[in-house]
Parts: sequence; structure tokens; C-alpha cells
Amino acid sequence: MLAQIVIGGFATGCIYAVVGLGFTLVYRTLRMVNFAQGHVFMAGTFLGLAIAERAHLPALPLLLAVGALAFVVGMVLERLVFRRLYHNHEVFIVGSIGLGIVLMNGVRVLYPEPVPFPKVFGTNVVEIGTARIQEANLWVVASTIALVLLLHAMFTYTRVGRGLRAVAADAEIAGAVGVNVKRAIALTFGLSFAVAAVAGVLIGPLYFVSFDMGDMVGLKAFSAAVFGGINSIPGTILGGVVIGVLENLAGGYISSAYKDLVAFVILLVMLVWRPTGLLGRETPVKV
Amino acid sequence: MRIGKLFVAVAVAGAVLGVLPAQAQDIKLGVIAGMSGPGTSYGIGIRQGAEMAVKEINAAGGIKGRKISLVVVDDASNPAQSVTAMQRLVGDQVDLIVGGWGSSQVLANMEVVERAAIPYIVVGATNPKITTDKNKWTFRVIFTDSVQAEQIAEAAVKRLGMKRIAVIHDANDYGVGNRDVFLASLKKLGMEPVAVLSYQSADKDFTAQLSRIREANPDGLAVFGTLPAAPAIMNQARDLGIKARFIGTGGLANENLMTLAPKASEGTVLTTYFHEDVDADARAWADRYVKEFSGGSQPPRPVLAAWEYRAIKFIAAPCLERVGTDKDKLRQCFGSWKGKLFSVPGEAHFDKTGQLIQPSVLVEVGNGAFQAFKGK
Amino acid sequence: MAGTRAKWLGLGAALVAMFAVPAAAPQYVVHIANFVLIYTLPVIGLGFLTGFTGRVSLAQGALFGTGAYTTALLTTKLGWVPLATFVPSVLFTVVLAVALGGAAVRLAGLYFVMATIGIQQIVWIVLMNWIELTNGPQGVRSIPPIGLGGYDLDTPQRFYYLALAMAVVSYILAKRVVGSRLGLFLRALSDDQLAASSVAVEVGRAKVTALALSAAWAGAGGFLYAHYVRFIHPDMFGLEPSVLFLVMSMFGGYRSIEGMIVATAVLESATEYLRPFGEFRMIVYGLLLLLGMMFFPRGILTLVPRRSAASPAHAKV
Repeated sequence: MLAQIVIGGFATGCIYAVVGLGFTLVYRTLRMVNFAQGHVFMAGTFLGLAIAERAHLPALPLLLAVGALAFVVGMVLERLVFRRLYHNHEVFIVGSIGLGIVLMNGVRVLYPEPVPFPKVFGTNVVEIGTARIQEANLWVVASTIALVLLLHAMFTYTRVGRGLRAVAADAEIAGAVGVNVKRAIALTFGLSFAVAAVAGVLIGPLYFVSFDMGDMVGLKAFSAAVFGGINSIPGTILGGVVIGVLENLAGGYISSAYKDLVAFVILLVMLVWRPTGLLGRETPVKV
Repeated sequence: MRIGKLFVAVAVAGAVLGVLPAQAQDIKLGVIAGMSGPGTSYGIGIRQGAEMAVKEINAAGGIKGRKISLVVVDDASNPAQSVTAMQRLVGDQVDLIVGGWGSSQVLANMEVVERAAIPYIVVGATNPKITTDKNKWTFRVIFTDSVQAEQIAEAAVKRLGMKRIAVIHDANDYGVGNRDVFLASLKKLGMEPVAVLSYQSADKDFTAQLSRIREANPDGLAVFGTLPAAPAIMNQARDLGIKARFIGTGGLANENLMTLAPKASEGTVLTTYFHEDVDADARAWADRYVKEFSGGSQPPRPVLAAWEYRAIKFIAAPCLERVGTDKDKLRQCFGSWKGKLFSVPGEAHFDKTGQLIQPSVLVEVGNGAFQAFKGK
Repeated sequence: MAGTRAKWLGLGAALVAMFAVPAAAPQYVVHIANFVLIYTLPVIGLGFLTGFTGRVSLAQGALFGTGAYTTALLTTKLGWVPLATFVPSVLFTVVLAVALGGAAVRLAGLYFVMATIGIQQIVWIVLMNWIELTNGPQGVRSIPPIGLGGYDLDTPQRFYYLALAMAVVSYILAKRVVGSRLGLFLRALSDDQLAASSVAVEVGRAKVTALALSAAWAGAGGFLYAHYVRFIHPDMFGLEPSVLFLVMSMFGGYRSIEGMIVATAVLESATEYLRPFGEFRMIVYGLLLLLGMMFFPRGILTLVPRRSAASPAHAKV
């Protein structure tokens, strides 16, 4: 039973990690939290559903297609919507919550009931010891690893990536040395949307998709990001996986009723003890 | 001056809400359910049932020449909004109300009805606490969790011969209510469950719970929840290698169960509110209903539409014919109502608490559809 | 002098009008007015926290619920008289808020928001799952109405006067706190924390006091709510109402209590305005939030800028 629970939790944790990445990317660059992130994840799933139903794409092209589309949407929304919300935290939070509500209910009008997602990742069940894992779960883990490696490569070796890091560290100076700050911010949003949407497609075949699936995942991914360090990419990944495994363990061994509590208690405790998270670097101003 | 602005805002709100057009002679029938939000598909079913019944009654001349006009309000499956929505019906001076989906909503909105003294027939909420000795004006046609859970417990032990039953239930009122009655019934039959676990309605992943259940090696798994969790649980259970047969109550009585869990749901035995095959009238109605409402934006949902339709056509309408719209007389008429409803075997009547007493209908999932349960 | 006389006349007329509402307006409107009046309490409470210390809380819904559940349980399980539960309800809410959030107030603004989300969810999950205490998803029903000397406030019209009285008292109290030494200090805190702390004043204690005050108002509002709707359920106190309260306190302008009250009235009636949109109701609501924030970030009524514009990449506390 232990193996089953841990491996299951690992897969869920990867989803929290990837969606959490969206939070982290935006936070690093803007010091703001985009509360629509969970619903972007959900919208990504439905986008994937719509494409898969019409175009019958196999797994990898589907992921790429959804990622690319979401990227563009993210950039467009940054230009049209997010840019007007930068005044202060509260405005950004409430505005992004509003956007999330629009996304969720927009999808609800089109898909009021839960629907099954085409099994693009196959339906085999793999046995690892006493644990039985769906093939799709393995795809989740593999894709997460691939994604993290890709992002790392981009941030370290490409000009664009280094530019994004510069803006994250200090926008003024980055702008002074010639980095196009506005474009960097737009790209960051595009990335955060793409990541969330891809997570959505990864999880689609595992569970049914419904318009309200973004709520809890968004909140837990957020907790994961804070836990691991909301300005640290490896921290967020670690945070997501740890929360996924811990909550499954709690659900299996302690009480399935309070399983959700794990993520939020961790969040609260972490914030009070060490706000920058496990692997975060920046010291917040505590006055 | 600024406090004045508050008043202005309130007054404007009041004015904008406006006056509802009302023909003085019409009988106003209120319908309340969730039509935007989680319970949308159930709410739409209720509305469709109401529309169908009222259309037929009006076409046949109405009630002693008076037409029935429907006043439909949406409570978004939210208890607080349900109270406000019910207040709206009261404000509109409806003569009676037939509807209500979701025990949390009904428990909330029935308080309004009891205080406003309007007869209310509940069609879509199964928590036992709705009909007790406290409600005077509230009646309920759908059977309660207690009845269903008890009946499925008996069926599981006596007819299906299950010996090791595990329970997984939603943490909401529906799941908890069912679990309590089910376990009490099992106890009376001399049995203890091998595992009892809960989940949150919005959960997607049940690995933790199902792993524990797998350890307990059950031959039957009772699933007390609604969609989409139930089919997800069934799929995941099969994937994990759990071979137990699934049983459940009304939350599973949704055609979508088979769409979402085509293989895993085969063989599930559950109590349901309505089934076309119980008698010829049921089949005839179901065919008419599906024909009328297919091709719309929402697929037809006979199960909840059936109760709304039957409540209006066979209970409310005859009473309106007999005693008119006097609320107290209507209430007494309901209380003493007896009769035959399609798809309900035998005769039905309301007991002292306003609950319609009726035998349940057991169905089994076979070949992707609900089939009458015939034996093993 | 004509100006003040006109002002007093206007105020008088408004008060008379407010008193006339239950008699003049349909019951349904009185019902909505009651909700508006009840909600002004947690909104004003939030205003202390947000407008005067720069800390945004998304836990106000949970605190509102704590007040509601405390009184509901004391009256239904222990048979207490409603009025007797007022002080315990408020007190318990304050204690809970300080216990869970006290350590977090010292965090920088955005981190504090995150912490309040944690608090909100934790309280909601406990309300939902601690069935022995709260009845969980079955909610608490048959909560008795408030009785004043044998006269039960069990209709919207009767309740209206109590709600009005409490809203007015809250308003007056709030104005007094804002004008007091504490209020002055809290505002200084919000404007420039470093400067305030350099005056060596008790920054931490002031923040906890602000938190306690906001919790007290939330608890009082919850008390009223429970005895008005008479059935409570954990879903009434989740993240959604927390967001709603926050929006109400922001839409009116950060520092204007009058603005908050008007915003509450407008937004609460909005649920009814939006009915004609049917299925699209929530989409319109979301759009209102989004567009409101995009085009009226400083609130609709007040145009006093709250913060100087700063480049987003610098941490703003």
C-alpha cells in the first residue's frame, strides 16, 4: 500500500509542481500572484480536449499545440488585461480572481458537465511491486522532468532566458542594459500560461475534466510554490512533489477527510517560519 | 449625505427589480433549483419536468379554466442564495412551490417556506432531516437517504450475498447521511464494514482511499457520492485491481455514470428514483419526454424530471382542482393524498412527516444502461 | 452656514427614508437591504486591515463564519439565548484570528495575503469535516431568532431595525477609531512602515490590534447573519465570500468608510441585477471584478491615490 500511495502522490505532486511553476514565474518577474493560474490550468485541459476531439492528435503534438496556443493567449492577456492591474497587490489579486471567474464560468457554459478526456497517453497499467500505475501517470512524471530541464536550459543558455532572469533580479538595471522589460514580462506570462495548460492536458486523461477542477489545484499549487520558495523554480518543483506525497500519505494513513488540510497547514506554517520557502533566496521586508 | 447614498442604492435596487407581470387569474407555481453552478444538470431536469407537466395541464384546459404559470428561480446550488431565491418566490406570491435540489439548499430554503406558510413539495433532496415532525408545509416525494441506504444494505446482504463490504463516501451531507444509515442497517443485519473512508466532493484522485480499501479485500464496495466523483472512483478502483462489485443509492442514478465509467460501472447495483421499465406508463412518459427535450442544448434527464413532472401532474394539479389555491387546504390535501404514480410499484401516500412512502426501485448497470435488477 | 444646514437636512431626510424602508418597500427588497447591512460589518472590519495597515486579508469570510458558527452552536446545542452569545461570538472570533494570524501579521503584505488564504482554507475544511462539532456539511439549522424582551425578530422587517442599528453603531465606532491615536498610527504605518517604526512605536502590537478589530467586526457580522438566515453551512464562509468582502472594501476606495458601505450596497444588489443574465450571471460578475480593477483601481468614490506608482519589479511592502 505504501508504494501505491507514494507513487500516486508523486504524480499528483508533479501537477502541483508544474502549475505552481506558473505562479513562480510570474512572481519572480513581477512580485505579484496571479490567482487565475488554477483556472488557466483548467482551461488548458479543455483546450486540449477540444483539439483532441477534432484533430485526433497523438500525445506529444497535442502537448506542444496546447502549450503554444496557451503561450500566445498568455502574452495577449498580459498586454490587454494584466498590464492594467499592476498598481498594487490587492488590485492584481482581485483582478486576477475576476479573470479566473470569467474563465471558469465561460468553460462551464460550454461544458456544464464533467466529460471524459481521450486517452492520448494509452491505457496500460504498469505494475511496480505491489503498486499498479497507469501509463498516463508515467507520462506526467516524465513530462515534468522534461519541462524542468527545458526551462533550465532556456534560462541558462539562451539570451531570452537570461534576459528574463535579469528582469526578475532587477528590472530597472535590466532595462538599463538593454533588455526589453515589457517584452520579458509578456513572455513570462506566456510561459506561465503554457506551463499550466500543458499540466492540464497531462492530467486530463487521468481524471474527468470539469469546469471546477482548477480551484483546489490552483490553491494547492500556490501552497506548493510558497512552500518550496515562490521565487525558486527547483523549490516549487520540490514543494509540489512533497505536498502531493504528504497529502496522499495523510489521506491513506491518518484521515481521508482532512487530506486537503495538509497543503494549507504547510502553507501557513512555512509562511510564519520561513516565508521565502525551503529553497527561496530573497529576504522579504519584515517591518 | 453619504448615508443617503446607501438609501438611494437600495431604492434603486428595488425599483430596478421591477414588477413582475402577472395575470391575476393564473395559478402561480414556483420552481426553485440550481441552474447555474454545480447542480445545473439536475436543475435543468427539474425545470424540464415542470415545463412538460404545466404545458400538458394548460393544453387540457388548465385547472378549472385557470392556467398555471411557472415562476422559475435559480439558486445556483448555493444555500445562501437559495434562501434569497425562495424569498423572491414568496415576494412574488406564488401559490405553491414544487422543486428544490440539493439537501443543503432545501434545508436552508424550507425555513423560509415554513415561516411564510406556503405548501412546498421537494423533489430533489434526500437528507432525512428535511421531513421530520417539525415541518408543516414541506412535503417530499423523492425517497430519503435513510430509505435508500437501508434498502441497498438489505439487497447487498440478502440478495447479492456480500460478506465483506467497504464504504467510500462523500464528505457532504448526502454521503454522510447515507453512510450513517447504511452502517446502522448493516449492523442490524449482523455485519460490520471492512473499511469506511471519505473524500471531498471536488477530489479527483482517490488513490489514498482506494489503497486502503484494496488492503481490506472487499467483495462489495458501497459508493455514496454523486458524479463526477463516483465514476472516477469506479475507474480508479478497477485500475488498482479492486474487483469488488459496486453498490450505491440515488447519487449514482445519473445516465452520465455509464458515459464516464463505461467498463467499470458494469454490474453496479443501485436504488434509483425512476426507471422506464418498471411499468408501461413509465416507458410511455420517458419516450415522450426524451422526444420533447432532445436536440436542446442540454440532454434530457428523465430521473429528476420524472419527479417534478409527477409531483405537479398527479399530486399538485388534482389537489388544486379539488380545493383551489387556499394554502391551508392545499396542505391538507397533500397530507391526505394517496395514489398511483408511474414507475412506483404499488400505491404511495405521505406519512405524518410529509414524506412520500413508496417501495424503491433497484436497478443494475448492464450493457451501458440502467436495467431493472432481477436477481443476482 | 447654509452648507451645513443643507447637510443636516439631507442627513435627516436620509435617516427618515432609511426608517421607512421596511414599510414602503416589498419584502424582497428589505431582505436584500438586511444582507447589505449585515455585510457592512465584516467589510468595515476588513477596511481597518486593508485601508489602514496595507494588509489584505482573504480570511474575512472564515472569520465571519466563526462568529456565525459560535452563536449557532451555543444557541442550538447549549440552548443559550441569542443575545447572550454576542460577546462570546465576537470574542472567540478575535481569539481565533489572533491565534492563527498573529504570527503572520509581521509578514510583508503579499506574504500576509498568502497566510490568510491558508487560514481561510483551514477554517473552512475544519468547519466542513469536524462533524461532531459543526454537523459538517449538514449545516446547523433552526437557529433561533434574536429576541428583544419577548419580541422575536423573525421577519425581515423586524430584523431590519436591528441590522440598521448595528450598522450605524459600527459606522460611528469605525469613524472614532480612525480618528483616534490608534487610527492615526495605523495610517502612518500603511504609508511608510520604515518611518513609523523609526519612531520606535509598537508596530507589531498595532498590527495585531488591527487584526483583532477586523476580526471583531467579522464576528459581530456573523452573529447577525446566523440569526437572520437561521441555517448555516460551511460553504457560506469559503473563499468566495472572502473575496466578496475584499472587493467591497476596495471598490469604495481604501480609506472611505462611506465608500465601503455604498460598494457593499451596490455589489450585494448586483446578484439580483445580474439575474437577467441567466447562465452568464457569474461571467458578468467576474467581468465586473476584472474591469473594475482594471479601470477603477483606486475605488469608485475616492480618487485619493493610495500609493505612489512604482515599478512592479520592486518589492512593495
